[in-house]
Amino acid sequence: MSEITQDTVLRPDQLHTHTQSQPLPRPVRTVEMTSFGIAGRPTAAISLVTAVVILSAWWATSWLGLVSPLFLPAPAEVVTQFANIYRDGYAGASLGEHLFASLFRILTAAAIAISLAIPIGLLMGVNRVAKGVLDTPIEFYWPLPPLSYLPLMIIWLGIGETSKITLLTLAMFAPICLSAQAGVRALPIERINAARSLGASRFQLFTDIVFPSALPEILTGVRIALGIGWGTLVAAELIASTRGIGFMIMSAAQFLATDVVFVGIFIIAACAFSSAAAIRLLEAALVPWKGRT
Amino acid sequence: MLSVDQASVYFATRDGRTVQALDRVSFDIPDSGFVVALGASGCGKSTILNAIAGFLPLSEGTITLNGRPVSGPGADRGVVFQKDTLLPWKTVIENVGLGLKFAGIGRAVRRDRVEELLRLVGLADFAAAYPYELSGGMRQRVGIARALATEPEILLMDEPFGALDSLTREQMQELLVGVWKRTGKRIFFITHSIEEALFLGTQVLVMSPRPGRIVGRFDPPFMRQFAESGDARAVKTAPEFAELREEIRAMLHATDTVRRDAA
Repeated sequence: MSEITQDTVLRPDQLHTHTQSQPLPRPVRTVEMTSFGIAGRPTAAISLVTAVVILSAWWATSWLGLVSPLFLPAPAEVVTQFANIYRDGYAGASLGEHLFASLFRILTAAAIAISLAIPIGLLMGVNRVAKGVLDTPIEFYWPLPPLSYLPLMIIWLGIGETSKITLLTLAMFAPICLSAQAGVRALPIERINAARSLGASRFQLFTDIVFPSALPEILTGVRIALGIGWGTLVAAELIASTRGIGFMIMSAAQFLATDVVFVGIFIIAACAFSSAAAIRLLEAALVPWKGRT
Repeated sequence: MLSVDQASVYFATRDGRTVQALDRVSFDIPDSGFVVALGASGCGKSTILNAIAGFLPLSEGTITLNGRPVSGPGADRGVVFQKDTLLPWKTVIENVGLGLKFAGIGRAVRRDRVEELLRLVGLADFAAAYPYELSGGMRQRVGIARALATEPEILLMDEPFGALDSLTREQMQELLVGVWKRTGKRIFFITHSIEEALFLGTQVLVMSPRPGRIVGRFDPPFMRQFAESGDARAVKTAPEFAELREEIRAMLHATDTVRRDAA
């Protein structure tokens, strides 16, 4: 009994060290508040198992001959075909040239879209006239599927790189521009007032407060834009193209070379995944405060 | 000297009516004056602070700082907000130096001045920390240092300790008296806590709502007593403190129109 009393009645300084570091005399059941949803628990293992299951199902389907190789080539065939294309190229160009053509288009378009959409979006967020004037064209075009105005791009700009890059730029511009506006809208007025009473000029307000405040939303917009960009790329390379991963897929489909189609799909998936991962790294480096204020 | 003369503010409501938020408010804040506006929400105390800060124009009346009329925000009036408005992407030292950066002062000079201010508010060890790594009380101390950095003529404080727990709040009140004592800054402070107003103010303006106006003025001696003795408990438990507190409480209740109408 006396032992319990000693253990339960502690001075405040003892209490701290006791709860922090002293080993407990016996194993106890730790508890936590009931959570809802995923609540930050890891999902990677489940995702990995899912990937293994899908690959096994694919392999089993082709091994048992359930589906014709014309529709579903075996995993080994796809790997072999990848090695072939890597060694010999496809349709008169090496794999590197196809990949470079696609990357050049999407990265050029992304660079143009980002450098236009951020200042325009921020301006639309703070200026009534800019918002009124630019809202009409942007709200008109951005819900359109890029494929629907691709023919127009080709009529106006020809079949070269210009029409493809313009199409990709337009597709990627809207999400970044809209997210920059949303970033300005989310800016608390107190932050602006605080900067004003510290003597900020209009220009300093824009560069030191408005832009960095909107950066988390802008980066989300860039991530969405890159996703849309990869989706639009295949469409842009569909017509009158001789290079590019999208061209490779389309060309192979015409010859029912399903294994080449698979190779192309996996390359685009890897690229899109890498670009999304790159933006996540960028977010961690540029906006580490996100969600913590 | 900061002078508020016959200041009135009218707002238009969404349904087209006009409400008076401030009714001919006049007061002066002399050099080294610590003026506290005390009242329930809706009494116009934030309205008057926003007008002095230059965030809100007056409908009628004038505000002058050292004879010059106030128009728009400026670095001559430092503001500390209830909600902390520190920039999350900047460290403590960068946040405090923000006003100096806006004024085009070089990094080295800025650093010396900021480090001095951080010592003043007891945060010298946290210069490299980010705001989200600090507690609420520490963030408000950064806010005070930031507002002092541009050496303003007056410090405007909009319920700066309202969101803090009561223990931290008392620590912050004592810290603020220390800052006032060492800098001799004019301070205009808003609160709805009678005790806080009495403890801090060299002048307390009791305000009442609908429309916001000053209904009582007091010149409590308690802040100066604390500044000399350093014993906050002795000051706050003194009979004169309790007496004045009850007097002001009665005054606030008498002017509470909602409560009076309901009774």
